[in-house]
Amino acid sequence: MKDREIDEILKQAAQAGPEMDPALLDRVAGSIGSSLTPVRPLPPAWVMAGGLALICAAVALAGAARSGFYGIPKLSVLDRALIFPTLGIFICLAARACVSEVIPGSRRPMAPRSLLAGGCLALLAVFAVLFRDYGTERFVPQGVVCLTAGLLHAIPAALASRLILRRGFAVNAVAAGLVSGTLAGLAGVTMLELHCANLEALHVMLWHTAVIPVSGAAGALLGRLSRSRESQ
Amino acid sequence: MHPDSDLEALMALYQEGDFTAATALVRRLSPQLHRFFVIQFASRREADDLLQETWLRIHQVRHTYRAGEPVLPWLYAIARHIRVDHYRKARRTAAREESLERMPEAAAPPVAPGRIPDLATLLAPLPASQREVIEMLKIAGMSLEEVARATSSSVGSVKQKAHRAYERLRERLSAVGLGAGRAGGPS
Repeated sequence: MKDREIDEILKQAAQAGPEMDPALLDRVAGSIGSSLTPVRPLPPAWVMAGGLALICAAVALAGAARSGFYGIPKLSVLDRALIFPTLGIFICLAARACVSEVIPGSRRPMAPRSLLAGGCLALLAVFAVLFRDYGTERFVPQGVVCLTAGLLHAIPAALASRLILRRGFAVNAVAAGLVSGTLAGLAGVTMLELHCANLEALHVMLWHTAVIPVSGAAGALLGRLSRSRESQ
Repeated sequence: MHPDSDLEALMALYQEGDFTAATALVRRLSPQLHRFFVIQFASRREADDLLQETWLRIHQVRHTYRAGEPVLPWLYAIARHIRVDHYRKARRTAAREESLERMPEAAAPPVAPGRIPDLATLLAPLPASQREVIEMLKIAGMSLEEVARATSSSVGSVKQKAHRAYERLRERLSAVGLGAGRAGGPS
């Protein structure tokens, strides 16, 4: 049996279904008509994504300004030229993905899980190439301080992003939470790269990069909770 | 009736508060949305409820439609959300009522030999993800790219689901004698 024949059978089968009740259509149209007012469409996707990227940059800069730009002077030109553009690219990708998640039926630049994994792997690769000091002095205490600082900066980034995304509608709250958390985590990592003077490879690779998956997981969890609450 | 290209214009008018455009959209799109719910094993009454719920949600989030974008992926993405939400609620209710007993898989209804069944019966043996892809692709006439957008998946994944669905449909239709030179109309 050829595909064209199956197409034909499907079309005939679709026509064989029961007719719709006209009263139901009248009821639906009536309920919509009773509260019909003009609405302001969402701004273009690039405006929303640009706004999100700016929020991340602002949170990272403000956080580093408050805590001190101790990381920047320690980084070489090559370090800066690789780390910050990588972060910038993934912030732009995550911002675009966030916007896609709150506009039903829009094109996804990247699946949320791939974005999270890609961001982490790219940063790990950059850090592994750039940093050669494999010392682990005060590895855990310093690491916990950095992880906490990164996450504490991810929170305002996520809250400010909410202002831009609040008018959207996420058909998949978990995916939207995951990608928003990833974006906020990237803002936290950017702040750490500007602020943290510890350039030990393992410290940067583990504790700085960990901000992204932890923040992403927190976002996904919040998305799941909001979905459960909505469907109660 | 408006041709396909008019959907975008109707949506723009709907966003501006035009009642005629809203009514035209409801009349134009409701039958395919209703069919979308019916083929997912929803009863006729459930499908009616889901349709009303979907339009209510569409009305609430109509500002998220962006002018110039295709309407159907936007619409089906919302309809899918309503359907999945309904499924979750139903599953939770069933879990409460029937403790931990698993709900049995819905058995595919029999097809009379040589007769074309209705769409819900025909697609019944397919998994839900394949049913929705076939409905959007072959019945609603959406492109692969549009189905991928509506289902938040990739074009490759949509192609694969459609291919697998056709394999199963081919087997089923051949088994009931609906091959080349078939006889009989819709039952």
